[in-house]
Parts: sequence; structure tokens; C-alpha cells
Amino acid sequence: MSLAMIIAVGALASTGTFLVTSRSLSRIVLGFALLGHAAVLALLASGGRAGRPPIVDGSATAETANPLPQALSLTAIVISFGLTLYLLALARRQQMLTGDDLVEDDVEDRRIAATEDWVVLTSDETLAIESHHDDGSGAEADPNPASNVELNVESNEAHR
Amino acid sequence: MIARTSPIVRLAVRAVTPIALLIAAFVLFAGHNQPGGGFAAGLLLGAVIVLRTVAGLQQPRHAAVFLAVGGVIVGLEALTPLLWGQPLLDQVVVSRHVPLLGKVKTGSALIFDLGVVAVVVGLVIAVLDGFGAASLVDRGRRPIDDAPVDASVDTDSGRNR
Amino acid sequence: MIWFLLVLYVAAASATATLGGRLGRNALWIAAVPMAATALWSLTIVGSDDVVSAGFDWVPGLDVSILFRVDALHALLSLMVAGIGALVCVYSAGYFTSGAAGLGRFAATLVTFSGAMVGLVWADSVWTLFLFWELTSITSFLLVGFKHTDPVARTAARRALVITAGGGLALLAGFVLYVDAAGTAVLSDISPITGSTATAAAVLILIAAATKSAQVPFHVWLPGAMAAPTPVSAYLHSATMVKAGVILVAVIAPAFQETDVWKPLGLAFGLTTMIWGAIGALRHVDAKLILAWGTVSQLGLLIALLGIGTPKATFAAIALLVAHAVFKAALFMVVGEVDVRTGTRNINELSGLRRSMPITFAVALVSGLSMAGVPPLLGFPAKEAAIEAVLGLEGSERLLVGGLVIGGAVLTVAYTTRLLFGMFGRSEPMPDRRVAPSRPAMVVAEVVLAFATVAGFVALGGVTQLVRSAAVLVAPKAEVYSLLRWPGLTTAFIVSMIVVVLGSVVGVAVARRVVVGGPAARGAANVDALIDGIGRAARRVAGRVQHGSLPLYLATTVVMVALASAVFVVEIDADALYWWDNRAEAVLVVMIVAAAVAATTVDSRLGAALVLGAVGFSVAGLFVALGAPDLVLTQLLVETVIVVGFVLGLGRLATRFPTATRLWLAGRIVVSVLIGAAIAVALAGAASSPSGQPPVLDLATSAVADGGGNNVVNVILTDTRALDTLGEVVVLLTVAVGILTLTRTRSRRHHEPTESAT
Repeated sequence: MSLAMIIAVGALASTGTFLVTSRSLSRIVLGFALLGHAAVLALLASGGRAGRPPIVDGSATAETANPLPQALSLTAIVISFGLTLYLLALARRQQMLTGDDLVEDDVEDRRIAATEDWVVLTSDETLAIESHHDDGSGAEADPNPASNVELNVESNEAHR
Repeated sequence: MIARTSPIVRLAVRAVTPIALLIAAFVLFAGHNQPGGGFAAGLLLGAVIVLRTVAGLQQPRHAAVFLAVGGVIVGLEALTPLLWGQPLLDQVVVSRHVPLLGKVKTGSALIFDLGVVAVVVGLVIAVLDGFGAASLVDRGRRPIDDAPVDASVDTDSGRNR
Repeated sequence: MIWFLLVLYVAAASATATLGGRLGRNALWIAAVPMAATALWSLTIVGSDDVVSAGFDWVPGLDVSILFRVDALHALLSLMVAGIGALVCVYSAGYFTSGAAGLGRFAATLVTFSGAMVGLVWADSVWTLFLFWELTSITSFLLVGFKHTDPVARTAARRALVITAGGGLALLAGFVLYVDAAGTAVLSDISPITGSTATAAAVLILIAAATKSAQVPFHVWLPGAMAAPTPVSAYLHSATMVKAGVILVAVIAPAFQETDVWKPLGLAFGLTTMIWGAIGALRHVDAKLILAWGTVSQLGLLIALLGIGTPKATFAAIALLVAHAVFKAALFMVVGEVDVRTGTRNINELSGLRRSMPITFAVALVSGLSMAGVPPLLGFPAKEAAIEAVLGLEGSERLLVGGLVIGGAVLTVAYTTRLLFGMFGRSEPMPDRRVAPSRPAMVVAEVVLAFATVAGFVALGGVTQLVRSAAVLVAPKAEVYSLLRWPGLTTAFIVSMIVVVLGSVVGVAVARRVVVGGPAARGAANVDALIDGIGRAARRVAGRVQHGSLPLYLATTVVMVALASAVFVVEIDADALYWWDNRAEAVLVVMIVAAAVAATTVDSRLGAALVLGAVGFSVAGLFVALGAPDLVLTQLLVETVIVVGFVLGLGRLATRFPTATRLWLAGRIVVSVLIGAAIAVALAGAASSPSGQPPVLDLATSAVADGGGNNVVNVILTDTRALDTLGEVVVLLTVAVGILTLTRTRSRRHHEPTESAT
């Protein structure tokens, strides 16, 4: 394998990753396109030495380039083409909706990180068994210190 | 934008169109023996449409039609061999003499490629339509004198089939 | 018949679960059907030599099969499980009011539990046993947490589930080791095994049994489980589920009796539990909790007896198992009725109920005395057999085990006396409380069980026959033993009488002392704190790891990939590498690198798009240099469309890229360089170990012959990899539809003026 190809793939992967870890969607699209190039070149490079085009015309085929990676690369090109266009559409929509194309932090993840307690009770608290008498409530002292920041959610503490 | 200020460009694009179509057709048929194929031909046609749109010669429309036609062709081509008990996507090669061109070897892969052409053209139109290429042209100081030439796209693909 | 009964259980569970709301208390009668049927069928097997089996291969490759076998022992246990289950259904009909919510759910869970328990006692392979074992844990969880609006019940249910399911894990591990050591999963083929694997299996299985049968220190879930409705406590937490551990120890004991750990560990669990449970029963004032702790104590005695492992002890254990199920279920039912009719279970508040609830008092007296081991009741000969078995030991073992068992027996009598005295004794009338009218269904169930306790003693010969035929299946030498109505003035009898007298004195003395409140449930609190702590730690870890920043997620992934690729450094063979294939390649690579680096630094989006185009066209040039004309054509066209898309899609935005902090920027650079280097290393490593020459000639030949084309690449795409190409088309279709949908609102608005203009 030629070092030139290795360098090209490495450089494309580096710059692609750098762009993809950005917060701007258009940069991320750009990064994905570069990563796509890196993947195609890596495929080609792993196919062996460069050679004549793999088109059978009766001439000697000993120096012909390996056609299999080329076929795989063609698919890779098409897929990264589709992916890039789709990402563009996503970035455009984001820009339409919010006015910029920045990737925000996941709100739900942030909420989970901020919540102190681990039990999030969302069960339907209204259904109660109307047994004649509530037996068993005096079973054992129950020092469950659970508390909950969610509104409208009963915590164990509320019952203590 | 370019076209608005330059009738020459518009004229040039108009002149280039048939040549580009011819090349696209060649690429499509050549695919089996020379570099080319459905995808490349579709992109070539797409490039023509891009040029014409940017030049204000046509509106990018009917993407869904192209996508649907292409999808159906590809799907049918894939499934048809099953009717004869052949595996999915099995190919049939036909070879006959055609005047002027000599011996032409073609196959059911060509039909598949035609479907691919339609899908790729549809995709390019979808990009132009979705990303508002039309508005790019519309925003001119004066309205475009040419009516949108949707029909040309249809005839283009019709010619290919 | 086995299948029929199990299907009957499933049918009853489905019916009550789906129709529950409309059925009201009738759901309980439906639930009782399979239990009654099972009990009746068990009666035909019990005490005889008949064996009925059924089963099928579940996973033949792993030698896992579902096997059932109903012999005298299994039938005795299923008679107990299903019979008491049917009575509990009857009792529940009185316990719940007709309009009670969730009755369908209750009946469905109860019948599912009963079916699981029957499956457990019938199981003939360890895997079958494990399956039903876990099912009982789950149904127990659902029943303890039946009043799911009550946080106490929820916490108790969670605690019970965590402990018993943890035991289930130990059981699974133990069974895997056992099957490995014994070479068979079939329980009826059991034979003694020894060795380190067997020892580990013995420990794990004993721990599993200890969690299920509430042995110290795993007992903390059982008192909490009293949060369940009383019928559930009567059924699961006294008569059946908690016996699962005892049953497991009984059936698997023959395999492990020769290992060093089995007996000491079993005795340690059992004896500690027996004493600690009895002490607990003396400290509480809630009648239900007294019974719960009493159950813990009795389970300890059972495990200890099985731990001793002599045929006599095994015989006594099985007799006691049956007797305990009968009297303890009855006592729970009594407490439930008292609770329902007076509104309290606190023995400080209760008094003198013997007058207002005479039948209930009679039941309580019979069952309580049976528990204390007083003749003429079923509990007496069973306990007598136990004491005989203990006294039959030798040397220091006799002293230690005997002393503890007898001490436990004294405490048992004491807490029984205290319970009966507290609820029914004392003449002063209950202040401010009206005793509600009796509920016939409850009384019927109690009386049937009390009758069984008495009848068991009267027809002791029959009971002996049942127990003996069951016991010989685990300890063949047990056939010489009998339950005796009147053993004569043996040492055991004298000891028992001393126990009864001493116990009663202690019991009455303790009962007179008014205890306010119960002892703090420190063990349960610790378990809950542990569970909460784990949960909170998990939340904290999740909060750290799942921080929500997409770039950081990406960076983390990328760094991991880069580190994983680092190992390829050792693969690199410098001889396989060369600088370039041709000069053009080198030049183009320089252009690509330059353009790619430029792409990261341009700060206008239009500029970035143009740089992207530069990279793309350079790559196309590189394809020319590498001999890939198809790629050239496609790449050029693709790049054109992408650049147009970029210009159209984002080109009109004049804003600049937002700036980030310097530290983050440095981090990104480091990560990027790292991954680039890692991929380069991986590629070089791959190039250094080729797996042979590329099959270029073969591909070319087959392209012409099979694909009918000279362009090998295209033939591969449309013929050899046609399905991939089809998938590719689908991707493009999806992308196009996605673009149209994502941008629809906008594009429609822009269409309208155009259309009106034309």
C-alpha cells in the first residue's frame, strides 16, 4: 500500500472527525462528506496496487486494478452522497425552525443528569384496592428516604 | 442568478442540453462495457436539470413522479425473475445486430439501470425543489420570460426509455 | 393429566386477568377451580407408589428439558399447595368486599402463583424447577405490591423481589455447577457428588434456598411482605412459597450430603434463623408480624432438620412441613379475620375476643396449640419426631443442635401463648371498638384447616403413611419411622412437655408486659438503603456518562475506536509499504490534504462548500491515477450535485461559524489527530498482511461469461452484488422522500407566487 494513500485517508479522517465534533450542523455535514471520502479511499487502498482500468478488452489483465474494491467504493460513494444530501436537508430544517443550525444538548439527558432521585414514579396513583380494611400498613418501619423533584409525583416521603 | 444577468449563459445552457442528453444516453448504454451506468447517467441528467434550473429555464418539479416510476421499475425488475423460478434480480442477456451500431449486447440489467436513472433524477429534483432553487431564480428584478419547462424533463426521460 | 392441570391454571389466570373487572368476587371461584382439581388429583397419587411423569425437550442442544414427575412426595406437596390455595380463594371471597377494585388482578396473580408453585413441586429437572422458582418470585412481588398505591407495600415488594431474585441468580449458578458436576439435570436421577464444583454448587443452592425461605440474614423481606393482603400472607408467606427453599433443600440434599459444607451451612442457617425468628416474634405487637417472625423461626427449624440429614430428621422435616402449612395458614386467616372485623391487629389493643368470636377462637386455639406441639393435634407428633431426631444425634452435635432446637421450641410455645393470650385472652372488653359481623366464607376456610389439624391427629396412621411414602423418596431409610399418637414416656416426650410448660409460663409473662410499638426493622432498612444507594449511584453515573452533548459523545466513541486500533502498530511491516504508485497520486494526495485542512479552517459556509468541492474533485483525480474510471465519472457528478446542494441548502447563510472555547478546540484537535493516526495505522497494518493476490482474473472472466459485460466493476454491481445495488436505490429513494418531507413547508410557500405568475 502506498504511504500517500494512507496519509490521505488519515488526513481526511482527522479533518472529518474534527468537523463532525463541531456544534454547527453545516460543519458536521462537511465532516461527514470528508469521512465518506476517507472510507472510499481506504477501500480502494486495501484492494492492492494501482493498475489499469478493470475493463476486459482482450489485452493482458495482469496489471489490471482490483475491481472488487472499486465496486464497493462505488456503493460507498452513492451512500455517502445520499447521506450528505439528507444531512443538508436536516441542517436546513433546523435552520428553518430555530434560526441557526447549532446542535443543542439533549434536553432529556440533561434532565436525567440533573435529577437527584433515582425513582421516578409515574404510576397511576389513584387506583386503590377498596379492601374492607387496610391491613399490612403497619408491617415494618419503612425509612425509605426517597424524594422526587417531579411535580405531581408522589414520593415515598409524602406518605411518611 | 448568473442567468438573470446573462442571456448568453441561458443560450449556452439551452444549446448544451441536447448534447448532454446524448452523452447521458451513451453513458447509460455503455455501462456494461465501458465506464458509466444508470447512476452516472442519472447524475448527468440531474446535472443538466441543475444547469437549466439555475439558468432559469425550468422549475424543478415532479420529483415524486420520477421517484415512484424509478422505484416501481427497479422493484419489478428485481421481482420478475421470481415468476420464472429464477433467483431475485437474475439477469437475462440479449445480443442482436442493430444497424449502424453493429452487434449490441444488452440485458435486463438495462431496465434496472433505467429505474436507477429515474430515481437519481428524482433525487436531484428533490434537492433542487427542497432547497429552494426555484426561489433563487425568482428573486430577480424582473420575472423570468421563459415559462417553466417541465415538459422538457419528461421528454428527456421519455427519450431514454 | 399434568398438562391438563397446568393448562387449566393458565386458562384460569387468563380468564380472571381479562374478565376480572366484571367478575367481581366470582374471579376467586374461577381461580379456585384449577387448585381444587389439582388437590383432588394429588389425592389419588399421594401415599401410593404411583409415578406420573410428563415433559418435552426444550433446548435439545443444551440438554435442557421441561420435565414433571408426580410421585408420593411431589403429590403430597402439590396437595398442600393446591389444597390450601383453594381454601385461600374461599377465604378471600370473605376478605374482600364484592366491589373491591383489582379483584381480577388479585385472582389472576394468585392463580398464576399457585400454578407456578405446583410446577415447582412437580419439577423433575433443575431447569424446570428454576423456571417455576423465578415465576413464584415474580408473582410474590406482584402480590406483596398488590396495594401499589401504598409506598410501604411498594418498598416491601421491591425488597422481596431483590432478595429472592438475587437468590434466583445464585440458584441458576448453583444449578449450572450442579449439572456440570453430576452430569444430569434430572432430579429423579440424583446421586451424591463431591469435589470443589459440588461444594460451590452446594453453597450457592443453599444460599438460594435461604433467600426464598427467609433464613437469617436474608429473612428481612418476609416481615415486610406482610404488606400484602392477608390471604396472600396466609398462602405465599406461610404455607407455600417460603417452603420452596425447604423443598429445594429436601429434594437436592441427596446430591450434596457428602460435601463438607452442606451440613454445617444448613445447620448454621437453620438454627440461627430459628432462634432469631422466635425472638423477633416475641418482640412485635402486630399479630401478623408475630406470625411472620414465627414463620421465619419454623422455616429455620425445617432447614436445620434437613441439614442434619439423618433419615429420621428428614422424616420429621416433611411431617413438620405439612403440619406447619396447615396450622400457619389457619392462624394467618384468623388474624386476617380479626383485622377485618375489629380494625386492628395490635395485640395491645385486642382483648377478650374469645367471647365475641368463638369459632375463630376455637380455630386459633387448635392451630396455635398445634404450633406449640401440644397433643392431641397434628403438630404434636411432628414436633415430637423433630425432637426425637435431634436427640438421636451424638456427642457435641447433640448438645449444640439439641439445645438450640429445644430452646427454639420453648420460644415457639412462648410466642404462641403470647399471641393467643393477647388476642383472645384478658377479660376486659375492647374499648371503643365494635366487632363487625362475621363473614361465613372466612370462617369456612379456617374451620376446614382447623379440622385438618385435628383429623390429622385422629387419623395419624394415614398421615404417617403419606409422610413416610414421601420421605423415603429423599431418604430411603426413613421407612422405619412413624408418627406416634402416644409415644410413651420417652425422653423426647418428657422434653416436649417441659418445653410446653416452660414456654407457656414465659409466654404469659411476656404477654403481660405491654410492649409499645415494635422493634425497628434495621435489617430491612439497611436493605432498602442499599437498594436506594445503588439506584442513586446508577443515576449519578448515568448523569455523568449521559451528559447530552452530542460532540462529546462522538469524541468519546472516536477515542475508544482510536485506542482499539492502536494494537495494529505491531502488525505493520515496513517492506509492504512504499511512497506512491505514481507521481500524479502523490500530487493529488497533497491537494486533498491541503483542501481537507482548509475545510476545517474556513469560516464562511460558502467557502467551506467550495473547499469540499476541491476535496471531491481531487479525489476524482486520484481515482484516475488509481485506475478506476467508473469512480471518476461517478465522483465528478456526485461532487457537482453535492456542491450545488451545499450552495443552495446553506449558501445563503451569511453567518459565521460559532466560536468555541479554546480548551474544547484543543480537545477536538487532539481527538481528530488521534483517530486519523489510528486509522492510518490500521490501514498500514492491514496492508502488511495480505491474504493473497486479488482474484482479478477470475472476476474478469466471470464478468464476461456470466454478467455479459466487459466493465467488470459494473457487472459486479448490477449482477454479483445486485441486491446491494437494489438496497442502494432504496437508500436514494428514502433520502429523496426525506428531503421532500423535511423541506416541505418551506418549498410549498415558495411555489405559490411562481404558479400565480405563470
